[in-house]
Amino acid sequence: MNESDTLGASLVRSGVSRRSFLKFCTAMASLMALPPGAAYAMADALSRAQRQSVIWLSFQECTGCVESLTRSFDPTLEQMIFEMISLDYQETLQAASGEAAELARVEAMKSSYGKYLLIVDGSIPTKDGGVYSTVAGVSNYDRLIEMAKGAAAIVAVGTCSSYGGIPHANPNPTGAVSVSDIIKDKPVMNVPGCPPIPSVIAGTLAYFVTYGKLPELDHIGRPKVFYADTIHDRCYRRPFYDQGKFAKTFDDEGARNGWCLYELGCKGPTTYNACATIKWNGGVSYPIESGHGCLGCSEPNFWDNGSFYRPLSTPLASNTHIIAAGTLGGIAAGVVAAGLSRKHQTHIGEEK
Amino acid sequence: MDLLQFARGPALTWAATVFMFGITWRLVGILLLKRSPDFSEARNATSWLGAVKLIITRSWPRREFRQRTLFAQSLGYIFHVGLVIILFGFAPHILFFKALTGLGWPNLPSAFIQLTSGITLAALIVVLVRRLSHPVLRLLSNFDDYFSWLVTFTPVATGMLAVAHFGARYETLLAIHLLSVALLLVWFPFGKLMHSALIFISRGTTGALFERKGASI
Amino acid sequence: MNSLTHINIKVINPLPCQSAGLSGNTDAILHEILALLEAFVATGQTGAIDLHSLPLTVADYEVLRTTLGDGEVHAHINVIGKTEVRETLYPGVWWLTYYNMEEDIVADLLEVTTIPEILKSPAEDVREGLACLRDLTGAVTMM
Ligand code: SF4
Ligand code: SF4
Repeated sequence: MNESDTLGASLVRSGVSRRSFLKFCTAMASLMALPPGAAYAMADALSRAQRQSVIWLSFQECTGCVESLTRSFDPTLEQMIFEMISLDYQETLQAASGEAAELARVEAMKSSYGKYLLIVDGSIPTKDGGVYSTVAGVSNYDRLIEMAKGAAAIVAVGTCSSYGGIPHANPNPTGAVSVSDIIKDKPVMNVPGCPPIPSVIAGTLAYFVTYGKLPELDHIGRPKVFYADTIHDRCYRRPFYDQGKFAKTFDDEGARNGWCLYELGCKGPTTYNACATIKWNGGVSYPIESGHGCLGCSEPNFWDNGSFYRPLSTPLASNTHIIAAGTLGGIAAGVVAAGLSRKHQTHIGEEK
Repeated sequence: MDLLQFARGPALTWAATVFMFGITWRLVGILLLKRSPDFSEARNATSWLGAVKLIITRSWPRREFRQRTLFAQSLGYIFHVGLVIILFGFAPHILFFKALTGLGWPNLPSAFIQLTSGITLAALIVVLVRRLSHPVLRLLSNFDDYFSWLVTFTPVATGMLAVAHFGARYETLLAIHLLSVALLLVWFPFGKLMHSALIFISRGTTGALFERKGASI
Repeated sequence: MNSLTHINIKVINPLPCQSAGLSGNTDAILHEILALLEAFVATGQTGAIDLHSLPLTVADYEVLRTTLGDGEVHAHINVIGKTEVRETLYPGVWWLTYYNMEEDIVADLLEVTTIPEILKSPAEDVREGLACLRDLTGAVTMM
C-alpha cells in the first residue's frame, strides 16, 4: 500500500492535524464506551487505513437523516467523518447531477467493487413494481439489488431504511419495506432513529472505517454500543418513575417538578436508543429533558403503536364496540339460558 | 406486529370481550332462574336485611371454628386485599382503567405496591402448598382450582418482573404480563374465579332465606 | 406572566444520592486510580478512566477535583476546540478534558502515564515540520 494513500496522509493534506484526529478518536471512543485506551489504537489504525469509499442511496425518505448528520451542532468533530470517507455518490450533497451523477456512481462501484460501504436512507416501496419511488428511471428496489452486490456491508441509516419507518405505517400504501427485508446475503447494520443522533451515525461509520467490520449488533440489527439500553434505563426522571410520581398533564405541578412522563405516553421503557446519554443538539438536552415523552422513533412500527400520548400500559385501541357487543351477547345468552331452564322446570312440574 | 402490539391490541380486546360475555351470560342466567315457590308463612316481611347481615357475618370466622379456620381465612384475606391494592392502586393499572372507562383516581407509591405484590405472591404460594398438603383439601381440588390459582398467580409474578425490569427486556415482560392478564380474563367467568361475583349473590340469597324463616344469622 | 422567566419551572436532576449529593462513585474512581498507578509503577502499564462512562453528580466532580488537585503542569491544546491537560497533585495522574468548538465537553478522561499521547508531537508531524523548515532555510540561503 502506498504511504500517501493512507487516511493519515490524506488528512494531513487536507489540513487536519494528527492531534485533532486523535481528539476525534477519543471523543468517538468515549461515545461508544470503548475502553479509554482504545482511542490510541483507533487513531493508529485509522491513520493507516485507506479512505473508505461510500455510496449513499436515498430512497423513500425526507432527507432528515442527512440533515441530522450534516447539520450537527458540532460541525468540526462529527463532520470529520467526511474526511475519513470518500463519499462517491450522495444525491443531496454531490455537485454533479443527471448523467454525470449516475456515471460517478457506476465508476465508484466499479473501482471499489466488493469494498465500498453502501449507506441507505429511506424505505423501499415494493407495491406495483416499485413505481412509487424511482431515481433516473430505475426503481429503488432494483437499484438496491444492483448496488448491494458489490458492497462490503450495508448501513441502513434512519428508521425508514432500518424498519420501514413512516412510509411503512399502516396502511402502507406503497408496500414499503426495509433494506434487511430485501438484502439477505450481506451484512446489514441498522442505525434507526427519526432521525438518528448525528454522533451515532458518525460513530458507527468511524467504527467501520477503523476496524473494517460492523460492530456487534442486537437482535434487530442495531449496534449494541449505542442501542443496548432503553431511554428509560438512562433517563434522569427514572427515580420519579420508581417512586410512582407522574406528571398528569404537560403543565401541572408534576410536570413543573420534572416528574416522569409515563402517563403522558412516554415510550422510553420500550425504546432502545442513546438519546438519554448522548443527547441532541450537541448535548443540549433530549426530548424528555425538554418536557415531552419519547415517541419510540428507533423501534420498528413506532408509528403504529397507538397515539404518542397513550400510556404504554393501556390497550392500543379502545375497541369498546367489540367489548360492548360481547356484553350484549352475554345478556342475550343469559336470558335464553334462563328461559330454557324455566321452560324445563314448568315441563317437569306439569309431568308431576 | 410484535408481541407487545399483539398483547396490547387484539389479545386484550378479545379477552375483554370474552370476559364481558361470560360474566353477563352467567349473571343474567342465574338471576333470571325460577325460584322454587316457598309456601311457608314468612316470619319477617323484609328479607334484604338478612342478606346484608349474612354477607357480613360469613366474612368473619365463627367463634366456634375460629381456631381451625383462622389461619386459612387470614391467608385468604391477605392475598385478596393484596390483589385489590395492586389492581387499583398501581399507576399503570389506573391508566389502563382510565383508557377503558374514562375514570381515574390517585395512585399509591410504587414501592408500596411492590411490597404488597411480594406479600401477595407469598400468600398465594402458601395457599397452594396448603391445598397440596392438606389431605381433605387435596381430595376436594380439581383442575379448576389449580388453573384458577395459576391464572391469578402469573399476572402478579410477571407484573413484578416487568416493574423490576428483571429477567428479560421490558417490552417482552410487559407483553407477557398483558397476555397473562388476557388469560385470566378469558378463564374468569367460566372457572371458580367467578366466585368474586357469585359469592355475594349466594350469601345474600341464603341470608334472605334465613331471615324469612327467622333463623339466627 | 409576561416573560418566560416567570414560568415556575424547576427541573431537578436527581441521581441516587447517599449524602451531600454524592453518588459514591468517586470512591470507586479513586480506588481505580490507585490500582492503575500501582500497575504503572510496577510494570509501566499505562491506563485510563473515562469519566463519562460513570454517572457522576456535580458534587462528585467537586470531590474529585479537590482530592486530585492541580499539579505542576497545565497545558492547553487548540485543535477543533480546546483541550485541557492537567497533571494532578499525583505525578503520573493526568486529567484531560476535551471540548468541542461550542465548549461542550466531548470526552473527560483520567490518564495514568508519564505524558499523555496528545501532548507529544506526532513523529510524522515532526518529520513533515523538518521538511518544511528545510525548504524554508534553503529558500532563505538561496536568497
Ligand atoms: S420519562 Fe419516560 S423514559 Fe423517563 S423514567 Fe419516565 S417513562 Fe422512563
Ligand atoms: S427520545 Fe425517543 S422518540 Fe425522541 S429521538 Fe430519542 S428515541 Fe426517538
